[in-house]
Amino acid sequence: MLAVATALDVKDMDLRAASAAIKESTGSETLEIRNAAHLHGLCAGLKTGEYDIIGDAGDYLGVLNDGATIRVTGNVGQYVGDNMTRGLIVVEGSAAYGAGVYPYGGALVIRGNAGDFTATMNKGATIIVCGDVGDEIATYHLAGDVVVVGNAGVNFGNYMIRGALYIGGEFKSQGHNTRIEEITIEDVQKLRRYFEQFDVQADATRFRKLIAETAKPFYGKIVKRHE
Amino acid sequence: MAVVGAFCVSVMKNACINAQYPGKCATCVEVCPYQVYALDGDGQVSVQNFNACVGCRICAEFCPGNAIRINSAEPEYITRALWTFPTVEEIHHKALTGQYLLRGFGTMGPLPHFDSIVVVPSQISSPAPRDKYREECKTDVVIGEGRCDKPLHLKLPIVFPAMSFGALSREAKLALAICAAQMGIATNTGEGGLVPGENYMANGYADAERTDKKWEPGGYLVMQWSTGRWGVSVDYVRAGDAVEVKIGQGAKPGMGGHLLGKKVTEEIAAVRGVPPGSDALSPCRYYDAQTADDMKRMVAFLRDVTDYQVPILMKLGPSRPYADVKACAEAGVDAISIDGAAGGTGASPDIVTQGVGIPTIACIPPAVRALKDLGLHRKVKLIALGGLRGGLDAFKALAMGADAVGFASAAEIALGCRACMACHKGECVYGITSQNPRLRARLDPEEGATRLRNFIHATAEEIKILTMLSGHTSIHDLSEEDLRALDLNTAAITGLKLIGYEKRLPWWDN
Repeated sequence: MLAVATALDVKDMDLRAASAAIKESTGSETLEIRNAAHLHGLCAGLKTGEYDIIGDAGDYLGVLNDGATIRVTGNVGQYVGDNMTRGLIVVEGSAAYGAGVYPYGGALVIRGNAGDFTATMNKGATIIVCGDVGDEIATYHLAGDVVVVGNAGVNFGNYMIRGALYIGGEFKSQGHNTRIEEITIEDVQKLRRYFEQFDVQADATRFRKLIAETAKPFYGKIVKRHE
Repeated sequence: MAVVGAFCVSVMKNACINAQYPGKCATCVEVCPYQVYALDGDGQVSVQNFNACVGCRICAEFCPGNAIRINSAEPEYITRALWTFPTVEEIHHKALTGQYLLRGFGTMGPLPHFDSIVVVPSQISSPAPRDKYREECKTDVVIGEGRCDKPLHLKLPIVFPAMSFGALSREAKLALAICAAQMGIATNTGEGGLVPGENYMANGYADAERTDKKWEPGGYLVMQWSTGRWGVSVDYVRAGDAVEVKIGQGAKPGMGGHLLGKKVTEEIAAVRGVPPGSDALSPCRYYDAQTADDMKRMVAFLRDVTDYQVPILMKLGPSRPYADVKACAEAGVDAISIDGAAGGTGASPDIVTQGVGIPTIACIPPAVRALKDLGLHRKVKLIALGGLRGGLDAFKALAMGADAVGFASAAEIALGCRACMACHKGECVYGITSQNPRLRARLDPEEGATRLRNFIHATAEEIKILTMLSGHTSIHDLSEEDLRALDLNTAAITGLKLIGYEKRLPWWDN
């Protein structure tokens, strides 16, 4: 029996072939995947294993991730970590539109910048962006933490209803139904824990925190029909 | 328009205070400026001049006993056209509350529908009719044949379309799953996550270990992948027998699912991940797909996640059927559900339900044409949804080119619903669209499944009768030739032959 392969070149493969090769090669060691930029939906729905993607990756990297650890040395396309439920995805470069949308859990760390609509409908994941982010970050945020070390665009935390957003830089405008809160000692401890765990260089004390104004932003007052 | 005698004024004597205590109340006499009411010598109120009533209803509004009813003598849509009493009331509601009307169920009112199409029986010029009582009729449909490893072998060309857990009660969802297992058809999770037990019950098993097969032959569960992504994980996607990507729905195309806070109980909140009592509003579009290209990639990774085993379906609202179905088919799905404007919903703004979207009969022909143009008709299955009521509607949809049909509102009615249109309130007295334990206790899943099974059985028999009297022994042989349009309008929008003229209208290829 040959030793478990630790490197995989997916240059000429389509998604099905690459996915089969990845499943075959998954062992106790970290699997290195090269030339994966043309594949969209790579490492989808994995429950175990550690994967290092050398270079850039395409769209939908680590979609439905349920326990795998995925590291990318380059940049990623759109929707990295889409609908993740467990596990960890670390992107050394930057991410495009919609990074970490619909996640239920796990952690997504982007060391570069991230695009618009990052962490939309986050239902419990921890999402950390070390650079700047675009507009409409954490729209309809339902639970979990979003940490932005750099600056954000307009409508930061639009219509969030639970969870917390932390921002180190500035944002152009605050979303509807958000409130700026004083950062507490527990928040600072939590941020320091994240920074230590994910190796982020930032000063936790200078962060600002946004929480939801109300958990029922759409809840209308019920008025009886006239009588 | 004459206003004299346009209204019937009735005073209910048992509720009228004046009738019981003459002289104590004469509010109606005082408030009516047209002397419709009068006091006689004993102080009794009588309606002396109802011809003078203009229908302002001031008397009814002021009556302390609520005893007065003003009814239009002729239907109001004739006498008052635009400004019927319900319209007036709706404007008053908006004026008082500042809120638009929201309601459940589906489109009410006149829309071009299957009623203006007739079935053509077989006589001497076409193959002779078949005997329904002594001959067989083929009704099975396979979704995903030759396209994935585990296609759905439906015994009947019928599915239950998506209705979410949250909009529907757990009991109603399980009744649908059990009925699907008993009839060998498919049910759908809807976008509200998986009800525990739904997946193995839909396959016919009574337990999660799948040892005790209780219901033969066993059906299928389609897992919906939607814009709110409530309760979705990789295990969810793999739990069923197919995955459906929802783009839109007939009752409110262009809007997302709408579950009002009242229905978000602790249980629903846990599945969906929203706080209890907070409205769960699904986004109207995918935050993780912006273009048709993204959709293609989404279908590709869903296939990858499910190991290329199960069919992938796509559900469309009624917008631009030709272009949308073409884009869907190009995204590489195995079946396309197209929901007409008459489709149902748990809650939607009234104007959207009433006024948005293409009617069902106008959705099917362009969808069929799109699939034919791509050479995929009958390969990529077309499922027609939206206000189908029984075998007659189903037959017409199948003959127009659909491969299967869906019954959602009709299935709810089979469970006991009386179409009161108050699904959004969460107080369904038959326990179908309620999350209140007291109301839910009124619906037993197995009893409900029996009613549903009977309904589906009767519907399937109806489809067979119509198929065989048009001279076919398989639903796959049905064609537009088996239908005729009753009026010009229907012939114009569907491309069916017009009765009497016996040809398609000139702008359709003859």
